Amino acid sequence: MIVKIFEGREDHIRQKGDGGLHLACNTESLAGAVSQRACVYSGARVVLNPITDALHLVHGPIGCASYTWDIRGSTSSGPDLYRSSFSTEMKEMDVVFGGEKKLAACLQELAERYHPPAIFVYSTCIVGIIGDDLQTVCRRASEELKIPVLPVRSEGFRGNKNEGYKAACNALSKLIGSRDYQPRHPSINLLGEYNVADDLQFVKPLFQEMGLEVVATLTGDARVAEIQRAHTAELNLVQCSGSMTYLAKIMQEKYGIPYRKISFFGLQDMSNALREAAKFFASEEMAEKAEEIILRKSREVMPQIEAYRAKVAGKKAAIYMGGAAKAVSLVRAFQELGMEVVIIGTQTGNREDYQNIAYLIKEGTVIIDDANPLELRELLIKQNADLLVAGVKERFLAYKMGIAFCDFNHDRTANFEGFEGMENFAREVSITINSPVWQLALKRAGCAGRGSQLSSMQEVSDDIKEPCHS
Amino acid sequence: MISKSLATVNPCSMCMPMGSVLVFRGIEGCMPLFHGSQGCSTYMRLYLAHHFREPVDIASTALNEKGAVYGGSANLMQGLRNVIKGYNPKVIGIATTCLAETIGDDVPQIVREFQAQEPLAKDVVIVPVSTPSYAASHEVGYRVALKGLVQTMAAKSKPNGRINMLVGSIISPADVRFLRRLFDDWGLGYILMPDISETLDATLSSDLPPIPKGGTPLEDVRDTANSRATLTIGGWVQEPGAGDYLEKEFHIPHVALPLPISLEFSDRLAAALEEQSGMPMPESYERQRGRLLDTMVDAHKVLADVRTAVYGDTEMVLGITRIMMELGMNPQIVATGAANPAFAEKAAEIAPGSKVSMGADFLQIAEEAKSRDIELLVGPFTGRRVAREGNIPLLRVGLPNHDRFGASHQLLLGYEGSMNLVEGMANVLLESRERVPA
Repeated sequence: MIVKIFEGREDHIRQKGDGGLHLACNTESLAGAVSQRACVYSGARVVLNPITDALHLVHGPIGCASYTWDIRGSTSSGPDLYRSSFSTEMKEMDVVFGGEKKLAACLQELAERYHPPAIFVYSTCIVGIIGDDLQTVCRRASEELKIPVLPVRSEGFRGNKNEGYKAACNALSKLIGSRDYQPRHPSINLLGEYNVADDLQFVKPLFQEMGLEVVATLTGDARVAEIQRAHTAELNLVQCSGSMTYLAKIMQEKYGIPYRKISFFGLQDMSNALREAAKFFASEEMAEKAEEIILRKSREVMPQIEAYRAKVAGKKAAIYMGGAAKAVSLVRAFQELGMEVVIIGTQTGNREDYQNIAYLIKEGTVIIDDANPLELRELLIKQNADLLVAGVKERFLAYKMGIAFCDFNHDRTANFEGFEGMENFAREVSITINSPVWQLALKRAGCAGRGSQLSSMQEVSDDIKEPCHS
Repeated sequence: MISKSLATVNPCSMCMPMGSVLVFRGIEGCMPLFHGSQGCSTYMRLYLAHHFREPVDIASTALNEKGAVYGGSANLMQGLRNVIKGYNPKVIGIATTCLAETIGDDVPQIVREFQAQEPLAKDVVIVPVSTPSYAASHEVGYRVALKGLVQTMAAKSKPNGRINMLVGSIISPADVRFLRRLFDDWGLGYILMPDISETLDATLSSDLPPIPKGGTPLEDVRDTANSRATLTIGGWVQEPGAGDYLEKEFHIPHVALPLPISLEFSDRLAAALEEQSGMPMPESYERQRGRLLDTMVDAHKVLADVRTAVYGDTEMVLGITRIMMELGMNPQIVATGAANPAFAEKAAEIAPGSKVSMGADFLQIAEEAKSRDIELLVGPFTGRRVAREGNIPLLRVGLPNHDRFGASHQLLLGYEGSMNLVEGMANVLLESRERVPA
């Protein structure tokens, strides 16, 4: 057992090569263990929030709205209503007497003020406890306001983040199919693409160049109207499979739209995504176009990527992601950079995800589900990682340990998708690994003390004693 | 006058557990534990990590559906056990969330049972505080956590001759270091609590303990019952808190002061320290005071009549409003997200004629700013949208500050901090004026 800090976490951590790779996953987080996961509400919020012209109303006390106000790095090419935070701000009296009336009044007021094409109403923990009937309030509001008012069942305690994804997909499925449209043939939707840091600019034009109409992206830079007609596309390409496979399955069942899992991150994955679309439509012409794009784009970015690769090859990377799809893509991207992955973990991966991951990684690599800072810290030391790829919560842990860091979460500001995105990613990895800050002296010359440089902190830390677990 | 809409649009406050973390993180070896669903701790960790640029560990009892129906006692006990095993804390600060409060868990009782039956609990102090999000803002969460600490821990022994210096509102690590330096320079013995100066602004070193080093030592927290006086700095318009409890319980005279922002409020702190110590203010501070005056004179024309909006935490807003008046500025909007009538009263006294709002949100502030031709915004980064849309320069002060560096190192207290504020306001105005095309 490579790390053992908390009882009950044993089955969530495996090292490839030390017996079975069956990982426990998709369970509730352990009390007291400082899981990096958020809640059901957060899962629903990350999926729906990028819909730029919708009004997102949080039915609950103020905190849930405060902490999610404009925190997603999803950009918009137009409306920006989604960057405001709306809350019913429930107070003690609402908790005692119920919040339905206040919710109804807020819906009325906000619709009149902002004229949104749709409103999503998120329920928070407390709503689940006091039993406000969101369905009825939203149905009535929808009738009166003549716009879709969609309840999102996202009470924080009703499971983990995956439940939130489902709640969001259920709300989306009610919106989809409510508007007629006749797209050009062939046509696709991009699911699980959130346009973080403007990612779509390097992805969508490639599909368009292949002659495909992109009917809707869910939900990056999306408009309500696009989502309403998403049922008219012929194929769903699903990127963030953790959050959107559920919706893809609903759409397959309801509208007969097949789906393919793809990724837009890394040269190989981006190329495969284009090829997959061409293959689906069985078009020789489209396939040729795809190859032409791949060749042209690769030629554009390869010289720079090669230069970065020379500076980072052989370094060891640790990956800790929210969803598994991104983690898998990252493994391949690091192969493209000549780097070795020594730790890979996710907050919400499922059995199939972890089986895929186990297949991809080398002997000795650690897989971890629903990690916490203490486990990450020990693993980073033991696996001698040079770089951590994760989100803001993990960033400062890495920095404090003298480990380079690359932000690949929803609040990142660098675009990493498509061919140009891979160049950006290679640069990010290189500038953090090769920064001179890691070579600065921790102690002035002549001062006693070990660990003379930041970069040697990990070796020093070897004598961090085993934590006091029983 | 524009009244606040029914729905809150772009909140100007946070929830109670958030405030508790800023207290618990200022106590030596203290680990915060939220009794509620997993999201609360993760969201607030994220929020604070953005601001302080430090790892912020907050444990959660990760309440689930079963816990919500049958009570969260089992989760709380397991959470306590795991926090002790994983983090080896000296203190665990338990803050409740709306979920735990609404399902009606009796947290103090569960804690007593835990302490009675669990050998692991022997050397750990457990401080439960009640902080449901729907009851009040983060400022109240801060106050009840500070009070909860002394209620649980302060113990009468022999007089220590020191002064309790309670930090009554959220200030930066640099501000806390300033207070420490001030008392040191004055030669006063003191207990400073809470002390986030190291725990939320750690140096890089080869040693990375699970709970950051620093914070008010436990012995000091206990010893607050034996001090000769209590000063709550930034406790001017707050409801009774730790200082009042110590006064009532242990007869320690308590004085609640505004945050020393502005000349007047800094003088007020100096006067209180002179009274406590019987010694005049050290010469170096007289010189700082002189430099502040000199800066105020230098900048007075840039700042004259500037129509401002100040928003954020109550005590900080009052101090900033005061210095604006001292400079001949024109505070038009004085707002806080908290519901605090004492704040409204003082704000109206400091800046007569301004629009004072409590329980404000940024929609209201934006509309007021438009109708009152505001030229300068001073407050947390959350006002950036108002600034962008109204093309109004914004000086970022206080928590949260997620989009600029330096939140931990921003000194706003004392003559020196006030000087930073004067220069900061003047500079953002000058920069914005330069940006206007010629």
